[in-house]
Amino acid sequence: MESILNKLGECVEFGKINQASPYPPAMKEQAGADELTKEALNTGIEPQNILNDALIPAMDRVGNKFTEGKIFVPQMLLSAKAMNEAMKHLKPYFQNGEIKRKGTFIIGTVTGDLHDIGKNLTGMMVEGAGWEVIDLGVDVGADKYISALDQYPNAICGMSALLTTTMSNMESIIASIREKHPGAKVIVGGAPLNAKFAEKIGANAYGAVPQDDINWLNSNI
Amino acid sequence: MNTWIQTIIDSPTRVAIPIMTHPGIEAIGKRIIDAVTNGETHFQAIKALAEKYTVTACTTIMDLTVEAEAFGATVNMSDHEIPNVTGRLVHDMKSIEKLQVPSLSMARIPEYVKATKLAVEHLNKPILSGCIGPYSLAGRLYDMSEIMVAIYIDPDTINALLAKCTDLIIDYCKKLKEVGATGVVIAEPAAGLLSNEDCSEYSSKYVKRIVEAVQDDTFTVILHNCGNKGQCTQAMIETGAGALHFGNAADMVNVLETCPENVVVMGNIDPVGILKQASAETVYRTTTELLEKTAQYKNFVLSSGCDMPPMVPAENILAFFQALDDFNKR
Repeated sequence: MESILNKLGECVEFGKINQASPYPPAMKEQAGADELTKEALNTGIEPQNILNDALIPAMDRVGNKFTEGKIFVPQMLLSAKAMNEAMKHLKPYFQNGEIKRKGTFIIGTVTGDLHDIGKNLTGMMVEGAGWEVIDLGVDVGADKYISALDQYPNAICGMSALLTTTMSNMESIIASIREKHPGAKVIVGGAPLNAKFAEKIGANAYGAVPQDDINWLNSNI
Repeated sequence: MNTWIQTIIDSPTRVAIPIMTHPGIEAIGKRIIDAVTNGETHFQAIKALAEKYTVTACTTIMDLTVEAEAFGATVNMSDHEIPNVTGRLVHDMKSIEKLQVPSLSMARIPEYVKATKLAVEHLNKPILSGCIGPYSLAGRLYDMSEIMVAIYIDPDTINALLAKCTDLIIDYCKKLKEVGATGVVIAEPAAGLLSNEDCSEYSSKYVKRIVEAVQDDTFTVILHNCGNKGQCTQAMIETGAGALHFGNAADMVNVLETCPENVVVMGNIDPVGILKQASAETVYRTTTELLEKTAQYKNFVLSSGCDMPPMVPAENILAFFQALDDFNKR
């Protein structure tokens, strides 16, 4: 059991999506996250253990390496893709409640902004940390966040913006959300933002890198 | 050595070349959409800034959608926001093989060339025009998240796309040179998300081709990479560009220590956190601190860390230039 989970964790950490993937060269032709997750389930390993003992620790290592500047966006995205391959096999267990998640995170790029690489990266990393992620996409206004919060009342919201013109939309979106959901918690991020701006617009937190979001979300459990 | 680069390095005083056009668009009472679609309006914005501030050279709008639109990508425009590319134009080798390198008559390229030409003809200052970098352009055509993965999963496809992007950029830069620009700021922010090795392989290799095709004694390439936090400075140097422009994530002293003395190094006052959001006093203090830290380097040019965003207070821009004037009087 430990051997499969260790191998699966390595696949996620180093971005080995499946056997056919040529990356990383050192793991060429070896089974990837796809095959190893299937194997783990077939050998009777509990889905919750696959998540807790292989996938989450691997993504945690990935997040830390990115924060420390040891890996960059492509490597992190490859790890996230490997994680997603594993998650496809676990999906039925999330749906029937056999695997428990830490909470729900609603994420989107705000009104007027169509950039999504930061939002995608953060969403994938947060999912890899054991949270359910509801991705609202790009150009997201208050109405979509409110609808999502109606459906997931205990969820935490994440907002992304790349443009200086659209980051200013965050303030009114947060205000509108809190009119309907007064206790709503919001974390914001994006290249032109900083912690001071986040505080000024009423956000609860600022994430400079995905690991900041994960750490703050985990502190809210 | 390039004449303009030599002039900068030999200058007895420190010079400033912030990358800014939005304050000019606002000064003439126009909207962003007016300037990005009309070369005459674009020129008037550049002119307004040249008359108001003591810039050593003028820059054009850093619009990272012009070349993608020429290839056929859909661009979303609104009155007061910078244009964005939407959707994905190519997704595999087959669609890239079909992709035609556009002529310079496509989309808004003629308007951008016109703005540069008018600025050269009417302003008595060097004009640094602008274009996108090959990796950033390829990312806009292929999808930015997908290209980041594809450089590892399917590098041949991405190299084929980069070659076509580079061909267009070379043609475009040759045209800007022909109309009299002193140089071109090649904006390559997406390459700043890569390691030094990947930046070298998927950006610098192609930027070098552009440099070799257009840079000479009369025309300079200024490579802008505001995503670089210091990890890919060597890859930027490899391009042979006469000047390198850095964002506020980079430590300018470290960068100046790394770069050769004959390469102009530009940067890097935070365009949002300082120039847009801070007080004029903070802008003055931050600019002065940067000037003092970099005083010993003759190849340093004071600049913003990226294109100055819309709605930067005029008093903050004045404070930026006041700090420069006071520093030069010492």
